[in-house]
Formats: sequence, C-alpha cells, structure tokens
Amino acid sequence: MSESSSREAILDRIRAASGGGQNPAVTAEEAAQRFGRLPRDYQVRGELTVRACQELFMERLREYDAKVVECAPEELGATIAAQIEASGRRRFIAASGDPNAWLVTAAWQITGFECDIDHGLTVTEIEQAEGVITACFCGVADSGTIALHHSATEGRRVITLLPDWHLCIVRASQIVETLPEYFDRCKQPPPELVTWISGPSATADIEMTRIKGVHGPRFLNVIVVNDREQGPGTK
Amino acid sequence: MSAVVEHEVVAEREVMTEREVMDRPILDPALAPPFPVAALPLLRNLQLRKNVAHAIDVIQAKRARLVAEKPDWQALRSAASRIRDEALQDLGAYLEQFEARCTAAGGTVHWALDAADARKIILKILREEKADEVIKIKTMTSAEIQLNPFLEANGVRTYETDLAEIILQLGEGEPSHIVVPALHVNRGQVREIFARRMGIENLSDEPEALTAAARNYLRQKFLSVPTAISGANFLIAETGSVVVVESEGNGRMCLTLPRTMITLAGIEKVLPRFADLEVMLQLLARSATGERMNPYTSLWTGVTPGDGPQKFHVVLLDNGRSSILGRKTERQTLRCIRCAACMNTCPVYRQTGGHAYGSVYPGPIGAILTPQLEQMRHAQSLPFASSLCGACYEVCPVKINIPEVLLELRARVTDQERKQALRFFDPLYLGLRAANLIFSRAWLFHAAQRMGRIALRLFTREDGWIHALPGIGAKWTQTRDLRGLPDQTFHEWWEKNRDRGNKGPREKGRKRTSDRGNKGADGQ
Repeated sequence: MSESSSREAILDRIRAASGGGQNPAVTAEEAAQRFGRLPRDYQVRGELTVRACQELFMERLREYDAKVVECAPEELGATIAAQIEASGRRRFIAASGDPNAWLVTAAWQITGFECDIDHGLTVTEIEQAEGVITACFCGVADSGTIALHHSATEGRRVITLLPDWHLCIVRASQIVETLPEYFDRCKQPPPELVTWISGPSATADIEMTRIKGVHGPRFLNVIVVNDREQGPGTK
Repeated sequence: MSAVVEHEVVAEREVMTEREVMDRPILDPALAPPFPVAALPLLRNLQLRKNVAHAIDVIQAKRARLVAEKPDWQALRSAASRIRDEALQDLGAYLEQFEARCTAAGGTVHWALDAADARKIILKILREEKADEVIKIKTMTSAEIQLNPFLEANGVRTYETDLAEIILQLGEGEPSHIVVPALHVNRGQVREIFARRMGIENLSDEPEALTAAARNYLRQKFLSVPTAISGANFLIAETGSVVVVESEGNGRMCLTLPRTMITLAGIEKVLPRFADLEVMLQLLARSATGERMNPYTSLWTGVTPGDGPQKFHVVLLDNGRSSILGRKTERQTLRCIRCAACMNTCPVYRQTGGHAYGSVYPGPIGAILTPQLEQMRHAQSLPFASSLCGACYEVCPVKINIPEVLLELRARVTDQERKQALRFFDPLYLGLRAANLIFSRAWLFHAAQRMGRIALRLFTREDGWIHALPGIGAKWTQTRDLRGLPDQTFHEWWEKNRDRGNKGPREKGRKRTSDRGNKGADGQ
C-alpha cells in the first residue's frame, strides 16, 4: 500500500472509530481552552519560601549524585575556577553566549587551563574536551531538574553530552518549586529543543543497582548563584 | 581510563543446543503458546523467578516512597487520564496537527498501517541514506514490529544502545519487561554475555564494571554511525515535537550525533499540548523507575540547523490501534504511557516474569493490549492470565481500569469460542452447559446435590477433606484440597428447623422462606 493511501486509511479508521464524522481540526485556541477546562487540582503553585525552595532544589540534585555549591554573584568567576581546579580537568569547552565573562576572571589563572568557546566546534573537538560549562533556562526544585532550552548560553545539545563533566550555572532567580511553574515560564511560544537533566546519566538495568554515569556526562556539578533576595517570606 | 577502546563483537554465533532453542521465549503472539503452557517452564526456573522478584521489589519500594510524598498524586492521575482521553477523542485531528507542525519544522511524517508497512518505510529511508548500520534507542514499538530481524535480513546491522537491550541483543535474549527489559538476567549472566561477545577477559560482575564495558563498547558507534532509530514517549500536536524519556544518555547520543534520525511511534502517543507534559512528566518517572525524574528527557521539533540530525523522519504506526479506538470500554487501553507500574505490582507477573505473555508487552497492560493489537486473532489466553485483583488499576498513572477491560475481552474470547463447532468436545464447555441446565431447575439442583454428596463421599477422607479426585477433578486437587460436602444442605436443614424460630422480626423472613420452599416443592 502506498504511503498516502496508508495515511488516508488510518485517518478513515480513526474517523470511523470516533463515530464516523469528520475530524474537525482542533485549533490552537480550542486546544488551549480545553487545557483551561482541565481539572488542575494538582499542585500548581509552590508553597515554600524562596530559601527553602532553593535548598530543596540543591538537596534533590545531591540525591541524584550531583555536586552543588552556592555563591554570591560577584564570586561566580572564582567559584567556577575553584570547581575546575578541584576537578583536576584542564581542557574545557563552553557555550557561546557570554561565558567569557565568567571564565576570564579566575579560571585562566589555573595552569594548563584551556577553554574553547563553541562557535561550531566539531564532534571530535567536543569529544576531546574533559568538561563543559553552560548556563540553564530553569531549575525545578520538586524534581531536582535543570531545563536546557539550548539558547546561546545553554549551548548546543552535543556540547553538554560528550564531555564527561558538566558544570551548570543556575541563577537562584531561575529556580521554581513545581514543574507546572516551569511550564508557566515556557509559555508562548513553547521551546523547540529541550533537555531536562536530573543528575548525571545513570542506569539501573543490572539488578536494579543504580550506577552513576553511563553515556552522558558522568559528573554533574551545579553552581547556584544567589542573585535574589534570600530573606524570609513567601513568594 | 579515558582511552576509548572499540571492542569488536565476536562474530561467530555459538551454535545453540536444541535445549536452548526450546528455551528461547517466543514473543510473536501469532506463534506463542497459550499463557499457561508458556508459564509452566518459567515457574520451574527458580533463578529467573528470584531475579524478577528482586528487581520488582526494588522498583516497587522506590515507587511507593515517591508516590507517598506527592499529596496530589490522585489529582495528577485524574488530570493525566483526562488529557489522554482528550487526545484519543480527537486523535485524527491531533495527528494531522502534529504532522503539519512537524513538517513545517523540517521533519517528514510517514503513516504505516501495519508492521510490514512500517518495516518497509524504515528500510526505504535507510536505503536512501545508504545506511548499512543503525544505532537504536530502546523502543518497544520496534520490537512489536520485529524490526531488528527484518533489518538484519536486509543487510542493515542494528546496534541497540540501552544497557538492557545490549544485554538482550548480545545474549540473544528476549525482553521480559517494557521499562527494564533484561530484569530477568542477573549480574553473573550479564558478565558471561559481555565477556563472551565483547571479548573481554577478566571482566568483573560488578554492575559498575559491566556498565563501563557497555560504555566503551558503544562509544565509537555513537560517534561514527550516521543513522539512528528511536521510539517516542510523546508526540506534541501543538508544536510537532517528539519527547524521549531515558536515563543513560544513549538516547541523547542517538538524538544528537547522527545525520539522520528515524522515530517510530504508535499513533496513540500524541498529546494535545506542550503544557500537558507538566502532568505526564510528574507521573511517568515516579511510576516507571521510582525516581522523581529520570536523568534525561529530550524534546525536539523537526530539525534545528546546526544542532542534531539534519534529516528527521517520523513513522506513525497504526498496527491495530485504530481498531481499539472504536470500543468504549477498551479505548482506555490506548491511554497507556508504558510506565510498567502494572506489571511491577501484578501477582501473576511476579511469578511468571514477562516471557509467559508471548508478546513484547507483558503484564496486565500486555494482557489487554496484545490480544487487541492482534484483533483478537491471537493471544486469546492473555485476558485470563489475571486474578482480577485490581492492583494494576490502583497504580496506573493514567487510570486504565485494566480489570474492566480484561473482563470485556474475556467475554469476547468466550463469544468466539461459542461459535466453534469443536466446543462440544471440550469438557469445560460441556460442564458449564450441564451446570446451566442444573442451576435453572430447582429439582435438578437438589437431585444433583444429593448425587454429588454420595459420589464425593467415596473420595472424602476421615479428616473431612478430599485430597484427590479422578479425571478433570484432579485439576483442582493437584494444587488444593477440597472440603467434603456436609451431610445436609442448608435447604434441608431449614426445612426441618424453620418452625423452631421465634416470632418478631423473623415473622417476615419466615413467610418469604416458606414461599420459596413451596415453590421448590411445587417443582419437585
């Protein structure tokens, strides 16, 4: 059967199954209205204080075996340098959107430190890097998830995949408590490329024993930059 | 150890002994034996049962802990089942919307009526790409259409990249679970397979070492094979995006590095909107692996210049799904998001493991999905492979009432059997016909009771129990004892004793009972 006739046959079967009528196109507005009518009585808004939410985010990431540190905005360069120093790695790549601002400060003082900015690096070049440095779009505390939408500061998908060590900079103002709060931040238009990362790569395929590090980065380091008021009070 | 070593797969296939051929489970529903027949050797395989029980206990405990910490779990389930129902209600419209958006974003959408259609489309794309090897992300849909043997027979080498799938591919095994396909294999068995097929001496059986071996084995493949095949967890109609949920990063490798990407997805995988993921992603990982979130979830839309594959094909597969859509009770089967929580909680699956189901979809969801995908022509024993305890319904994140569908399918199987002439030789059928006759006439029923009492007395031991029956009755007494019949039935006792009661509230009852007694007497 030719492909176009398969298409018609499948759509005909679906129409017949749905009562024989046509399939009136569901417009974007209609679909959005339907979403509005859904019973969203699950937790949509977070309830924690700013500080508690940030702590939950860090705790959840640590449970996935990620390394998490906090720093003040003015300490970011030095903190990145300290992380790189401690990692023992020297060959890095970074997302193209302005990571220079962070890197120049202190990391270049480290002996042997190299960093290529991704302006179209080849796979081989990326594969040779020992680590990668990027920003992110959002952090979700409830599930300890980092969302990359692969803008210039978050980098192409491949750069956060091949290097074994991923250093991700999360600004405290990017952290939300619940997944629905993250989706609220994504509205109009929704992102075209997303990688949701919850810890380093892992598997439990052998006897359900969780092993950290398979094909994706085996190490995930996160720096949370305290760029907003941390005081008490709710959001 | 950062050096990348490519291990060549040891090419020559070990000649399988006859015993091993017999042991290889058959997961083609058209060829598989009925569930009880397939289950028997598995029940005798204590190692396998131990492996399955261990894996399931671990997942179950993790899932239970994480579900308990979500006070809004039931609200999430309700929302998810509503979203899935909405997608199925307007499936045609949402598929066309997905097709339009995906095409606009540079993807190519193909429609496959059945398994053969899908295999043909995929092979055609591979031929156009001049691909003689592909890397694959775990997809049960590909196993459903038996893609790998077809591609291999047509000169395309397939490399599974999910750890469990590598274990099965190299060990020539079959999946027994939809999330953890090799959960019936233990570390010692994995070590043996890897050592033999990857040619590694002195390989330890520590999961860390085995995982590292798989990483090294695949690294060059990821970097060099230009074509990949994936399944899909969700298709987003609103944006034309595809979502793949995974843990190891093998998925991201296949989605990012090759030149050409082919995604095979069942037509039911569509979600109306991007925002629907706020519900689905909260449910899926918790239900499937007992994690708050799986390590990696990827979403992509057609092709993105400079990032990832520059050619992207989606194959939308029907293969029996549209026939499920038209049935009111059964339609909910298509809500499934393949989390496997139902098989993890199922007391039957726990004992037999997945191979007894004779399908790549085992467990309770397989018991309802497989016969329907086969249009009730095969796998008719599966709806009966359940105790109807309802545990699967309770854990299902999209609230599929599996027991309800099981009963519906049992009725359809029974209707089929009723049409067969051979039924007159089936002792079960004859027995049920006889019972129908006896139960509909009171005098016959009483007579049968008296005869039964006399007959069973022959087999009743002094302890009041029947330990062994001859003929078809042995099917019961093989595994359980039967209480011997008492000397009189309740009816007989009541006939003798009903006048000994007092007045008061019993007055009414006495009257009604004596009416019934009279009717019985009339009948006699």
